[in-house]
Amino acid sequence: MTKTILTVDDSGSLRQMVAFSLKAAGYDVIQAVDGQDGLNKAKEKTVDLVLTDQNMPIMDGLTLIGNLRNLASYQKVPILMLTTESSDEMKAKGKAAGANGWLVKPFDPKRLIEVVQKVIGA
Amino acid sequence: MNTLPIEELRALLAAVSKHGDWHLLEIETDLQQTMFLLNEAIEKLSASFMQVHQELSAQQAELKQLQQAGRLQAEEEARFAAYQTRIGHEVDRVITGMQFQDMTNQLLQRTVNRVNGLKALLQELSSHQAPMLAEDEYEEIKRFIMQLNQQFHQGSQHLSGHLRKAVNQQDLATGDIDLF
Repeated sequence: MTKTILTVDDSGSLRQMVAFSLKAAGYDVIQAVDGQDGLNKAKEKTVDLVLTDQNMPIMDGLTLIGNLRNLASYQKVPILMLTTESSDEMKAKGKAAGANGWLVKPFDPKRLIEVVQKVIGA
Repeated sequence: MNTLPIEELRALLAAVSKHGDWHLLEIETDLQQTMFLLNEAIEKLSASFMQVHQELSAQQAELKQLQQAGRLQAEEEARFAAYQTRIGHEVDRVITGMQFQDMTNQLLQRTVNRVNGLKALLQELSSHQAPMLAEDEYEEIKRFIMQLNQQFHQGSQHLSGHLRKAVNQQDLATGDIDLF
C-alpha cells in the first residue's frame, strides 16, 4: 500500500520540490501551506509521515508538532523537521516537542528519500 | 544671551525623519520588487523544470519500449543508460539549487521588517511637537532628548527581538540531518 506523507511549508517552490522528490520515490503527498493548514489536513486523514518547516505564518512547525502529538492518532506517527534553522537550541526544542528528526535546508533529494525510507520504509 | 535653538533642533529632527523615511520607503519598494521578481522567476523555472522532466520521462519510456522490442544495440543501451544516470544527477542538483528562493525570501522579508521598524523609529523624531516654555527651555529639551533616546533604545531592542535570524546558510551545500 502506498504511504502518504504530509509536507508543510509556506514556500510554494519548496513544497513543489519536496512533493516532486517524494512522488518520484513512489509516495503519495499531501501539501499544506502553514502549521494550521497542516493540522487541519492531518486531522482529515492520518498520514504515515509529517515533514514540516519551522518558520511559517499562522502556526509554526514546533507548535504544529505539539498539536499533533496531542492527537491520539499522531502519537506514534514520525515527524521530521525540514527547515533553514540549524542551531542546536532549535534542534533541542524540536526533539522536546516530539520531532523524530531534523533536516537542514537545502535538502538533497537522494538523501531526503534515504531518510524517509529509513523512517517509514519504501 | 544665547538660547538653545529649540526650533532649529526640531527642524533638524523632522528633516532627518522625513528624508530617512523617504529613503527607507525606496529601499522597501526595491526589496518588495526584488521579492516579486524572484517569486516570478522561481515559478517559471519550476514550471519549465517540471515540463522538461515530463518530456524526458516520456522519452525514456519510449526508449525502454525499443529496448524491450530488441531494437537497440547493447552499445546504444549502455549509452542511453549513462545519459539517464547523468540526467538523474542533474535533476537532483536542480532541486537543491531551486531552494535558494525559500532562503533568500526569508532574508528579504527580515530586511523589509527591519526597514519598517526603522521607519517607525524615525517617526519618533518628528512626533514631539508640544510647545516648550522659554524659561524651561534647557530642562524641556534635556527631557525631550532623554525621552527620545529611551524610545529609540526600546524600539531598537523590540525590533531585534522580533527579527531573529533563521537563515545562516552561506551557500547551497546540502544541510545536516539528525535523527533523534
